[in-house]
Amino acid sequence: METAINIAYACKLISNEMKQFIISSETDVIREVEERGDQVELARVMKEEVKKELKKCLEEAQQYFNTLSGPKLALVIDGKCLMYALDPSLRVMLLNLSLNCNSVVCCRVSPLQKAQVTTLVKKGARKITLSIGDGANDVSMIQAAHVGVGISGLEGMQAVMASDFAIAQFRFLSDLLLVHGRWSYLRICKVVTYFFYKNLTFTLTQFWFTFQTGFSGQRFYDDWFQSLYNVMFTSLPVIIYGLLEKDVSASLSKKYPQLYMEGIRNSFFKWRVVAMWAFSAIYQSLIFYYFVTDSTSTGQNSSGKMFGLWDVSTVAFTCVVVTVNLRLLMMCNSMTRWHYISVGGSVLAWFVFVFVYSLIRENVLYVIYVIMSTFYFYLSFLLVPTVALLLDFIHQGIQRWFFPYDYQVVQEIHRNEPDGYLRAGGLEISNHLTPDEARSFAISQLPRETSKHTGFAFDSPGYESFFAAQQGVYVPQKAWDVVRRASMRSKAKAPLPPKR
Amino acid sequence: MDSNTPPSSSAAAGSADPSAARRNSKRPKYSRFTQQELPACKPILTPGWVISSFMLVSIVFIPIGVASLLASHNVVEIVDRYDTVCIPESARNDKVNYIQSPGDKTCTRNITVTKHMKKPIYVYYQLDNFYQNHRRYVKSRSDAQLRSNGSADDVSSCEPEDKSNGQPIVPCGLIAWSLFNDTYDFSRNGQQLSLNKKGISWKSDREHKFGKNVFPRNFQNGSLIGGGSLNSSLPLSEQEDLIVWMRTAALPTFRKLYGKIEDDLQANDVIMVTLENRYNTYSFNGKKKLVLSTASWLGGKNDFLGIAYLTVGGLCLFLAMVFTILYLVKPRQLGDPSYLSWNRNPG
Repeated sequence: METAINIAYACKLISNEMKQFIISSETDVIREVEERGDQVELARVMKEEVKKELKKCLEEAQQYFNTLSGPKLALVIDGKCLMYALDPSLRVMLLNLSLNCNSVVCCRVSPLQKAQVTTLVKKGARKITLSIGDGANDVSMIQAAHVGVGISGLEGMQAVMASDFAIAQFRFLSDLLLVHGRWSYLRICKVVTYFFYKNLTFTLTQFWFTFQTGFSGQRFYDDWFQSLYNVMFTSLPVIIYGLLEKDVSASLSKKYPQLYMEGIRNSFFKWRVVAMWAFSAIYQSLIFYYFVTDSTSTGQNSSGKMFGLWDVSTVAFTCVVVTVNLRLLMMCNSMTRWHYISVGGSVLAWFVFVFVYSLIRENVLYVIYVIMSTFYFYLSFLLVPTVALLLDFIHQGIQRWFFPYDYQVVQEIHRNEPDGYLRAGGLEISNHLTPDEARSFAISQLPRETSKHTGFAFDSPGYESFFAAQQGVYVPQKAWDVVRRASMRSKAKAPLPPKR
Repeated sequence: MDSNTPPSSSAAAGSADPSAARRNSKRPKYSRFTQQELPACKPILTPGWVISSFMLVSIVFIPIGVASLLASHNVVEIVDRYDTVCIPESARNDKVNYIQSPGDKTCTRNITVTKHMKKPIYVYYQLDNFYQNHRRYVKSRSDAQLRSNGSADDVSSCEPEDKSNGQPIVPCGLIAWSLFNDTYDFSRNGQQLSLNKKGISWKSDREHKFGKNVFPRNFQNGSLIGGGSLNSSLPLSEQEDLIVWMRTAALPTFRKLYGKIEDDLQANDVIMVTLENRYNTYSFNGKKKLVLSTASWLGGKNDFLGIAYLTVGGLCLFLAMVFTILYLVKPRQLGDPSYLSWNRNPG
């Protein structure tokens, strides 16, 4: 129990200002009954004690809760008491108490109890739970939670094999959640809504055509245009987007952890957002269809010749492909050269395809050459995508300025900062880093040794200062490291070798 | 799924030998793509950008709109509906019967030219309520057969107009079978106006789609006659009426080029049109119209593009002003942290 509390202090789970509720099985009452040796009696007494303690703690917690600026609460409970606290009759009290607390420390728990606690929170509080562990005893807990994170290391790979995510060191958890988890949420939301939007636009344009074909089911586009729309002309940009999109950089994601709330509040996939995309798709499909068909009702160039069905639909299709790809660019928060390559490449692929295809395929023979020989094509090629994207542009302009998302405000605050990717090997310290950052960057470039205690929450001590001293980089001593060295029995001679 | 792992290399205890360290390292090969550190452009849509985009669009679009609208206004178009008036009074109760019965269907119409029309003047026939875009209709043709003589037997998609008396029809299909066969002759003050019927179809159709050695065979031989017949001594690439007709239109109201008048028409000229009212649009309430039109660099009389450009240009100008006013009325400093949601609603 003491060890557990000390470790919790070291991890900053508990601090001195917090009010601690301790439910321990080491009380005098229980010890007395234990000495008597009667198991049945022991069970009964323990249950009574635990119930009493829980009730007391819960009442105190309620009191603190009612006052506005009460201290934070922490609960420490050990395995034996937990066994009785997870009993169906006491479970609810335990859950209520632990949900009111900022931290809960359970020590000496068995793997089954770990899983039971996780399930209690998962089912009782109906929140998303994440559990992290590195050993085989954590497997059941990892599997019980919504998200299980395993730490791969020297305790073996059992936890990793049972987990949803595997990381190498405990401290990567913050990266996993705040950086990659957040980006992943953003990317998935945007990719899914964009996918529905582009297909809706494409299909609705055909839909408006059916009203004017006597509902006979004649397709507006040529078959191969339709088949290759999702495969060749609009697929690569959205893949690149899903891989590389970042709303704010990694360091800013960690600096503003409140940005994570956007995922919790589901701000990018609400019904309102989906409805906006759908409305945009409907509007654009109307523009594509009616602008193109209304402007081709008379002769098309100075020789008075008329367009046929396939000419009109090729013009419309070209506009659809270009608009949908440009819409993706409008949606990007960070555009790499792959974005430009994929968007430009997709539009280029369309043109190359239709140039070749219209030489081969009978019903659309020479269609593209016919339409490109008229001024009309170029004028409508300029007009139609612009009008189609106008609504989205207005919406973005208004939303961005008057109702900005948090990440957009963060982007604006840090708009003038460079990316800070310094990875050319040596100790390249640019003028932008503070001395502290420069120092930690220098240390991170030093050769490291594997940390054998990867399950712990603090770094391996000592080596940093040793190697750093060798390279001439000054490192301030860590408090606990000084204490640790001072408490070692054998006085080591300086320089101190890394202790293993 | 592995998250990105920063470099972690092992070193032999106590020694800092770099080569030994790299050999045992589990560090993945560094690439800017996989570490997602590609240099990126991070555009922020500031008010400046919004307003300047709108201004740019309006500056580009308004002149184009003016030019298009001027071009369209300079086109003179005369439309004359003749399908009802060309049926004699006595037969107006049963138009279908009249059109299907044999006999002379000549009809004379007088068209007054409103404005001076420069040559060439394009003559179109316009059909309403004729669904050339119906699925069964569009399907009913054989492009292979049209192109080469050797594929004359490729009539599978042409049903029901594929074979007649056991022989394949060239050209097969409903589209060819329903060929428009009204004819028009123009004269002014008793003098015949020459009508050029060459070059009314797209060049690519004439050269690539309709073969030079494919001749009509077995055409309109059946019991049900759907439209015009073809001269079997002319190859298909020279049958321009057929070529124009077979370029199926997109909408149920369409017009197709019939010919070009190579003379100027003065204002107040009266053109006498001698037309043969043969085509049956009465059984489906279709309309037939004769259109005389000049053409500009943009084509026929269609205000749509011009109006659309002007509307969009004007709208963008208006939006630029609205946004300017909005941004002045409700200013917000770029990067104002008080807009962060946790600063707006504390607790």
